[in-house]
Amino acid sequence: MIELINLKKSFGTKVITNGLDLTIGDGEFLAIIGRSGEGKSVLLKQIIGLLKPDSGSVIIDGQDITKLAPKDAAKIFKKCGYVFQFAALLDSLNVFENVGITMLEDGENPEKVRPIVIEKLRNVGLGEEVLAKFPDELSGGMKKRVGLARTLMLSPEILIYDEPTTGLDPITVRLIHELIQQTHEASKKRTSIVISHDIEIFKFATHVAMLHEGKIVYTGLTKDIWECNNPYIYQFIRGLPEGPIKQIGFEK
Amino acid sequence: MSYIGIESLSIVILVGVAVGAVLALQSYVGLERFGSTQFIGPIVFLSMTREFGPVFTAIMVIGRAGSAMTAEIGSMRITEQIDALQTLSINVHQYLIVPRIVASTLILPFLAIFCALFGILAGYITSVYLLDINPETYMEAVRTHAEVKDIVNGLVKALIFGFLFSVISTYKGFITKGGAKGVGIATTQSVVYANVTIVIADYILTSLMFAK
Repeated sequence: MIELINLKKSFGTKVITNGLDLTIGDGEFLAIIGRSGEGKSVLLKQIIGLLKPDSGSVIIDGQDITKLAPKDAAKIFKKCGYVFQFAALLDSLNVFENVGITMLEDGENPEKVRPIVIEKLRNVGLGEEVLAKFPDELSGGMKKRVGLARTLMLSPEILIYDEPTTGLDPITVRLIHELIQQTHEASKKRTSIVISHDIEIFKFATHVAMLHEGKIVYTGLTKDIWECNNPYIYQFIRGLPEGPIKQIGFEK
Repeated sequence: MSYIGIESLSIVILVGVAVGAVLALQSYVGLERFGSTQFIGPIVFLSMTREFGPVFTAIMVIGRAGSAMTAEIGSMRITEQIDALQTLSINVHQYLIVPRIVASTLILPFLAIFCALFGILAGYITSVYLLDINPETYMEAVRTHAEVKDIVNGLVKALIFGFLFSVISTYKGFITKGGAKGVGIATTQSVVYANVTIVIADYILTSLMFAK
């Protein structure tokens, strides 16, 4: 279970999370939605320790990572996997080295790593032919699959996706969403958190949370979302210009 | 190590040759007035081993490899590649920083040897074949005035310069922020800071090693 309690984070005068509270249960498939620039990525980066909150608690499996020593926190972070928006593949390494990097850095024999990498690539719908390719030889969709395969090497219990479908065509978006769902269902214990602007994610996620002005303004089940009367959700999922969410730069 | 060392070798040798030859020419102009042209040899030898070898090698490697280190690590920072390594529980300092610092520290003395060696050779050729200095007199003066300590201290300087510039280059890359513009700023700053640091460190080391 992940609990975020009174989480605050600012960059200079810009407040990103402002006393945010959120609880994510084990095995949940949560979609976090919100306008661009609301700080959804910053929120997730605080969960996996890439950013430190100014105050508040991030409790993962009963341990507040903000109060742990770096070594102890690192053990908790090993349970988490993060799939970056633009995959963040190391561009000096080929696909094999990118996906197998954790094992290769542990000193494993590349011949032993190879079949494991091939299996992970197969899990994300890629074949052996991509092994020798470098990131700049891959399409956007392929990069994201390779990024996911790399994350799966650690078999994380908590899998976080930062806008996994940004910049992809609708068919690839669908395939990536299905892949995320399959990956989620492959392990009953796995908790998946997805940031998305794409309302198609509601077909796959079990829960939804909405971030607005540094706080969570809605949490609930995705199956109920179209009947939901929460004014923020109502406006956001229908893309309405009128409502409590002000469109920055479009004020009349 | 190959990028910092072998691929920097040609430019380091070129600079060594140019400096050695110019040093011989300039020394000749000054020493001829006092009838002391036999000292060109020791001047070239001592200058190349104690000063110009390590300093010019460091300056050339900063411009070539130091800037590349900052730009590469800076690009990795802004494209979240370093974040990705962290989320994979890979020690980013061990993976990105330490190998570059170790390689730079170890390789710079070897490059400085080549720089000094080719500088001394160019000084000899210029003196003997262009300025008509007797080769026996040239070599005898070098043997009389040069000490092993001069070479060792020059190599120690190069070792320290290698460490200093690589720490600055990798650090500036690691803390890069602000997109492509940020990478450009970090790279410029790393080259400037590293060069200034080398000049200051050179003065301090020279005071400690050679001052009486």
